Amino acid sequence: MWRHLLPLTLAEWRHHPWRHAAALLAVALGVALASSVQMINASALSEFAQAVRAVNGQPDVVLTAEQRAGFDDALMARVAMDAAVTLASPVLELDSTARRDAPGAAGSAALGSDLTAGGATTLNPNAPPGQARPAGDGASDAQALPTAPASAAVQVEPASQPNKASPPPAPARSTASSPAVATADRTPVRVVGVDALKVFRVAPALMPRPDSPGTPASGDSPPADGAASARPAGGVAGLLADDAAYLNPAALARLGLAPGDALWLQSAGGWQRLRVAGRVSAGGGPLVVMDIAAVQSRFGLLGRLTRLDVQLVAGTPPGAWSAALGLPAGVRAAAPDEAVARISNLSRAYRVNLGVLALVALLVGGFLVYSVVSLSVAQRTPQLALLGVLGLAAADRRRWVLAEAAVVGLVGSAAGLAAGAALAALALRLLGGDLGGGYFPGVAPALVWPVLPLAACGVLGTVASVAGAWWPARQAQALSPAQALKGLGQAAPPRAPVWPGLALLVTGGALALAPPIGGLPLAAYAAVALLLAGGVSLVPAVVALLVRAPTRRAQALAGDAVVGRTDNRPATPGQRAALLLPLAIGRARFARQTAAATVAGVVASLALSVAITVMVASFRAAVADWLGAVLPADLYLRTAPSTGAADQAVLPADLPAAAAQMPGVLRVSPSRQVALTFSPEQPAITLIARPLGDEPARNLPLLGEALPAVPGTLGVWVSEPAAAIHGWQVGDTLVLPLVREGSTAALPTPARVRGVWRDYARQFGAVAIDLADYQRLTGDSRLNDLALWLAPGTAPATVVAALRQRAGPSVPLDSATTSELRKLSLQIFDRSFAVTVYLQAVAIGVGLVGVAASLSAQVLARRKEFGLLAHLGFTRAQVMRLMALETAAWLGAGVVVGLALGLAMAVVLVDVVNPQSFHWTMPLHLPLPRLGALAAAVLAAGTATALWAARRAAGRSAVLAVKEDW
Amino acid sequence: MSPPRIPRLPRRAWLQSVAAAWLPAAPLRAAPDDDDRIAPDRPLRFPRDHGAHPGAGTEWWYATGWLWAEGDAARTPTHGFQLTFFRSRTGLATADAQPGRFVPRQLLFGHAALTDLAVRTHRHAQRIDRWSGDEAQPEAHARRADTAVQLGAWSLRRDAQPNGASRYTAALPAPEAGLDLRLTLDSTQPVLLQGQAGHSRKGPLVAQASHYYSQPQLAVRAQVKAGGQARTLAGTGWLDHEWSDAYLAPEAVGWDWIGINLADGGALMAFVLRRRDGSALWAGGSHRPAGGAVRSFAPDEVQFTAGRTWLSPDTGARYPVQWTIRTPAGVHSLTALLDAQELDSRQSTGAVYWEGLAELRDGAGARVGLGYLEMTGRVAPLKMG
Repeated sequence: MWRHLLPLTLAEWRHHPWRHAAALLAVALGVALASSVQMINASALSEFAQAVRAVNGQPDVVLTAEQRAGFDDALMARVAMDAAVTLASPVLELDSTARRDAPGAAGSAALGSDLTAGGATTLNPNAPPGQARPAGDGASDAQALPTAPASAAVQVEPASQPNKASPPPAPARSTASSPAVATADRTPVRVVGVDALKVFRVAPALMPRPDSPGTPASGDSPPADGAASARPAGGVAGLLADDAAYLNPAALARLGLAPGDALWLQSAGGWQRLRVAGRVSAGGGPLVVMDIAAVQSRFGLLGRLTRLDVQLVAGTPPGAWSAALGLPAGVRAAAPDEAVARISNLSRAYRVNLGVLALVALLVGGFLVYSVVSLSVAQRTPQLALLGVLGLAAADRRRWVLAEAAVVGLVGSAAGLAAGAALAALALRLLGGDLGGGYFPGVAPALVWPVLPLAACGVLGTVASVAGAWWPARQAQALSPAQALKGLGQAAPPRAPVWPGLALLVTGGALALAPPIGGLPLAAYAAVALLLAGGVSLVPAVVALLVRAPTRRAQALAGDAVVGRTDNRPATPGQRAALLLPLAIGRARFARQTAAATVAGVVASLALSVAITVMVASFRAAVADWLGAVLPADLYLRTAPSTGAADQAVLPADLPAAAAQMPGVLRVSPSRQVALTFSPEQPAITLIARPLGDEPARNLPLLGEALPAVPGTLGVWVSEPAAAIHGWQVGDTLVLPLVREGSTAALPTPARVRGVWRDYARQFGAVAIDLADYQRLTGDSRLNDLALWLAPGTAPATVVAALRQRAGPSVPLDSATTSELRKLSLQIFDRSFAVTVYLQAVAIGVGLVGVAASLSAQVLARRKEFGLLAHLGFTRAQVMRLMALETAAWLGAGVVVGLALGLAMAVVLVDVVNPQSFHWTMPLHLPLPRLGALAAAVLAAGTATALWAARRAAGRSAVLAVKEDW
Repeated sequence: MSPPRIPRLPRRAWLQSVAAAWLPAAPLRAAPDDDDRIAPDRPLRFPRDHGAHPGAGTEWWYATGWLWAEGDAARTPTHGFQLTFFRSRTGLATADAQPGRFVPRQLLFGHAALTDLAVRTHRHAQRIDRWSGDEAQPEAHARRADTAVQLGAWSLRRDAQPNGASRYTAALPAPEAGLDLRLTLDSTQPVLLQGQAGHSRKGPLVAQASHYYSQPQLAVRAQVKAGGQARTLAGTGWLDHEWSDAYLAPEAVGWDWIGINLADGGALMAFVLRRRDGSALWAGGSHRPAGGAVRSFAPDEVQFTAGRTWLSPDTGARYPVQWTIRTPAGVHSLTALLDAQELDSRQSTGAVYWEGLAELRDGAGARVGLGYLEMTGRVAPLKMG
């Protein structure tokens, strides 16, 4: 039987290639989006995991510090002497900034300009990633917002920061303080102290590889015969030398350095001059490998380690071994892939949200398939009826239609997978592994093929196609061959009941109220899908509802026109023109089932666009408000681009006081930031210590009321994400894992949560504490940031220049005014959401293709009707106008449904998806002009498309159709 | 990409390479503690000189020997062992009193090897660590007062016995190589001072010298684990302790050395430093008959003549495994008890050398002694990189 049906199917496809191609394209598009998101993410994660593994190596056990202050290196003795240990490789990691020029040599960067030079976050696999950027989801997150609520400069850490120009040749570098180089001011780097005698056995990527002294590094210096005799500290002494720095490719490139050059690293004790002695092969962000003793002494970390990589005798169970060893407080045995798991968790919400967005695109594709197959079935009713009479069973008719859709889905999925791979390769090249989200800084991934997710994408594409054909296939099954052959069953397809659509809407609404599943708003996404499906299936009902009043008027009008025609004279052109509107409205109402098919794609894509527009606008408005609240001062200064590097970059202790004395400075507020790890599975929380005073509401964007201070009890304020992740509520007592300054001694400090504040910058939470409390508890008097209030008329640049001079060349200060920060933050926000705009455009485009395809089909299907109209004296132009009016009516209903659906989905995104994924809330903000413009654009583009399609289809056949029929 | 080259050399190689290539000469000359200086007029004092001399450039404690099954009256050798602890001053961080466990003032190396004559296998293992010079550091140290070297789980310790005798205890667990050596070595004779009262010349220049003494004819008891099989063995051993600042002439490429416990209770040591063309640059040695006085050899009194050679399938190096050795103690032939006793550590350390158990025969072909033969610099001139 299928053998006979196949030629019929092929004939149909040959007849209407564009229509079916549109359906195929829609499926392909959805699959392409979904699969490319999967591939990009898998690629980035795999690359990141490789970089982490390269840096971490393959030890059997990693003993790691719970806090970034590290642990006492006396543990080394016990581990090294343990009989089950074959190797104990000590590691001390920290964040700092590097420069190639002597401090002060190029320190006069323009106001604010150096903020943008702060590079990407460095690879930070094991230390608490306080500086890991919370970042953007295409759908619901901002990236790179100000780092500290009231004191911070923007953390500008674009993920795909272009590398500084590749290292210039050696002669050019001799003019190191030339302006071209001066912009490469400071680069955040990860400093890793290792024992070169051991590290190669667990982490070969960190093994220092000296550039052999006899070989000229850049090939431009002549090989000197005497070089061998002037032997610099080579061999082991060279590996272990106190001033030897070994850079990875990213660090060499970003700093523009080559072996032999000098390198400056910032430490709390001043800038450290080092020598680039060679390279390490580790990938990822900029990395500087030094001898462990040098890191301990130069960065004021004597007696400390952050990590001890241990290799055990084969067969020793690592867990039992570390348990038997009895680790001291502050040290724990980490699982080998912990860092990879954490980064995977870090980007999980982002990943899932992008993936779901792509699935919604697939849903749009499903609706388009519905459109195309519906029309195809309607048009082929005689054929189906004939086949029915010839003995094709009703169920087989249904299977036939479904099989056709499945083929379209399969081919579309295959094309989509191919396109997705191309898209992913392109995006990886242009945008980096996180599509600008900032989760995988410094990572340049190679494409990987996650087989199962890709197969799932392909299956979903086919399923969407088959699902789209489900209702038309039912129609094909239900039709009565005899009636259809007589031409009776063709006009009125069974009217779809209203209740399934309503049920879908109600179920969707209920699902939106469901809690997150595994920390992800999966129920809410299902709700969005159900709302969309329900809304589209209700389009006919809405058409009926919308045209009820106009229909009565139209019937009256038509009645007038007809009643007036008592004679046999042909109707005047004016009368015919007057008939157009009622005809169009009547037809729109009568054929409203077809309307659903025609505008389904438009409704879905418009709803999607509206939802995303509202969500982004709400987020942007909330961020703008929040920026106002967290940037109350006029000018901000900071010493380091990240919380991690802040430990090594401190303000001179007397700078705040000196700043307060400067002319034009009204008030000064310093702050200190440290990363605290509350639990090993969760990324670190940023502790922000700054003067909060008696009125915290003045200094923090508080949500709700703050509790009054209780004498003798330490009060803290937690950010909204911190409260959600750790379940803290106002009035609760939490324990801050503070560390006493200058030691590794843990200092667990109970603190009462006095309030919750809004924070969009740190997805993993922040805790604000009064600076005086922090300094009293920890003895840590270091400061990182300074907020300054200026007298009216004071030029910020003057104050910055004075402060720079006061701080001296060894303390580079990044500065920015509030307006610069606001502008920069919002620019970054807009840039990170630009991709959603393109997605909207693509979705609407697909929807319009659907309109065009179904209208051209209808024009052909309605040749008889048009022929009759022509016979009655309607001109071709009038017939076209009739079409346009009809379509406008449908599109109008579609736009109304799309807007309403979009708003409902936006509410779900803003009030459910965001809090569940990212733990922050925002007020709903309706950008009415933009929504209006969007609706008008869809209406106009849809009508224009309809006219074009109708003209193209009817131009040739209208007259012929009449002839043919009469 | 060359593999990381971590130096771990047979002790002789250190004389010629360590000081030459690794260590800036100037600070070494200036810095040494007077007690650690190498000089003909610096007499050896015990037990102080059993301990370390961190001011000297390099130093090693080196013990070899052969073992037999406990209770075997015939004392048929079944195993040979070698263990070495090296100490090397890096010349780094000498000027300041910079504190810190990881300050790399000294490097400590350990080397353990076991030759199984029955199944003809040769296992070896290595350790390396840095040492700040703090004698209280538990996991790595080489103490001055008496032999006490610790390198992770590996250790060598001397305990004084009545009337100046020595008992050395060594523990070298190397489970990653299927090897575990735990030995006690008791002295049966007085300390043997090499060279002139323990000042041993290594080259034509006066500065090219070391302080060097040996403990021959040690009574050994060993707990040996190899390939999962544990044995308690008895044996006879030889221990060298040598420290030096000096470096040898650059034209030296390698070194052949023997230390033989003679069957009659005597001790024979001899070495030759080779030039690239194989000719002798310097030579030396000593003979002490049982109960007698030491006879030290002049450079022209020692002659090594190579006999049958063995081609290493791993490195392509050719090692003489039979020698004719002419010394004032007589003309002897030396034969390796196992050809394949090469240590190829190029993957990790870059050094390739041969060190193994050998037997000494007199002109009549009778075995007159057993001991260790060491041959270096036969793959490439020993160099550190």
